[in-house]
Amino acid sequence: MNLSRPDRPDRLDRLAAEYALGTSPPRVRRRLAAIARRDTVVAAALDEWSQRLAVLGTALPEVDPPARTWDRISARLGWSATADARPSWWNRLAVWRAATAVFLAAAVALGVLQTVGKRAPAPGIVVILAGSDAKPAMIATAAPGEEVLHVKSIGATLPPAGRVFELWGLPKGAAPRALGVIPAGAVVELPTRSAAVALLASFPALAVSVEPPGGSPTGAPTGPVVFTGQVEQMF
Amino acid sequence: MASRPGRLRPTHERGDGLAALIGRTALGDRSAFEHLYRASSARLYAVALRMVKDAALAEEIVQDVYVSVWNAAASYDAARSQPLTWLAAITRNRCLDYLRRRELDTVSLTPATDDADPIDLPVDAPTAAELLIAAADARAVRGCIEGLESRQRQAIALAFFQGLSHGELARHLGQPLGTVKSWIRRGLERLKSCLDAAGATR
Repeated sequence: MNLSRPDRPDRLDRLAAEYALGTSPPRVRRRLAAIARRDTVVAAALDEWSQRLAVLGTALPEVDPPARTWDRISARLGWSATADARPSWWNRLAVWRAATAVFLAAAVALGVLQTVGKRAPAPGIVVILAGSDAKPAMIATAAPGEEVLHVKSIGATLPPAGRVFELWGLPKGAAPRALGVIPAGAVVELPTRSAAVALLASFPALAVSVEPPGGSPTGAPTGPVVFTGQVEQMF
Repeated sequence: MASRPGRLRPTHERGDGLAALIGRTALGDRSAFEHLYRASSARLYAVALRMVKDAALAEEIVQDVYVSVWNAAASYDAARSQPLTWLAAITRNRCLDYLRRRELDTVSLTPATDDADPIDLPVDAPTAAELLIAAADARAVRGCIEGLESRQRQAIALAFFQGLSHGELARHLGQPLGTVKSWIRRGLERLKSCLDAAGATR
């Protein structure tokens, strides 16, 4: 069943509608779910219909789940009630530390950071932002004495059409702080209105999310978080 | 962000807050995640309870949903869907996975008992249809639902709120399978063009 072939969009649409409503026969449902795991066209069709129909359910009177439910969710996520409250993005970032360190060395060797090097022989900050595949997508740097962040895109790192990338500082144990919308371009600057090095040094890590034009309307990331990276002191 | 004055619905105000909570959850903020749970779990539990009709199972499904939300919060796109819509869609899909799996098991284990309706279904079709209309707190959604033929509306409401499959619907409504399928198909087509034209999905 090749559902994502563009010559049969009507069939995919019908199957996705019945999947989302839930009337598909069990075997069709299972098969569609399996295809959606590797086929983004099918996944998008199922998602679109699920969202469309979920609007219909808003009148259901709310019912509180048993009080223990939250404890069980915490337990399943491996958090005990008294667990260290260290946010887990830190844990997630830890996975990438090795990759980042290796890439940092390679980037310096390849001269990727040379623009910063020229401006800033004194200690600066570099943050390599990578996606979940650990492949570097952007490098953010701050040089002493400047009130601007330099952001360099690696390869063709573009936001989805009609969207922008927004940069966030991730303070330990607090809500993300907006650092600004990243202008389009391979090498761009983001004004910081204060010493850029001190600003970046105040965060253990940075993140980039996808936002509507002009940036997040809520002051917190609203779109998918696509890249994150640890803040590293250079030299 | 200041809330807009006037006719803004409370669910919308809450929606903005939920979107921010999902965003912070995506960054691994546990306290945001707990707030998200406190603000949305009663809605999701109601959805699951209605569909699977078993408190222990509904609770388990709600746990599954939040565990997967913790792991997949970064895939939430505030520009594409309201937070509660997104969460409810995940919950419905979990319930449907369970119901369809059970249907498959029932069919393969006891093919001869096809007449036995595995779901204890009181004659609450009107209730389901009423819920569907009541759901339309946005005028646009209400218009789209009222634009359906009554049998289309009834079949879609039963499927939506009770999680009935095509086969179960046909048995429940006493209609041939093909007839029920075509009511559903036409109803969904009509809903799609109406909801999309009204921009009601967001």
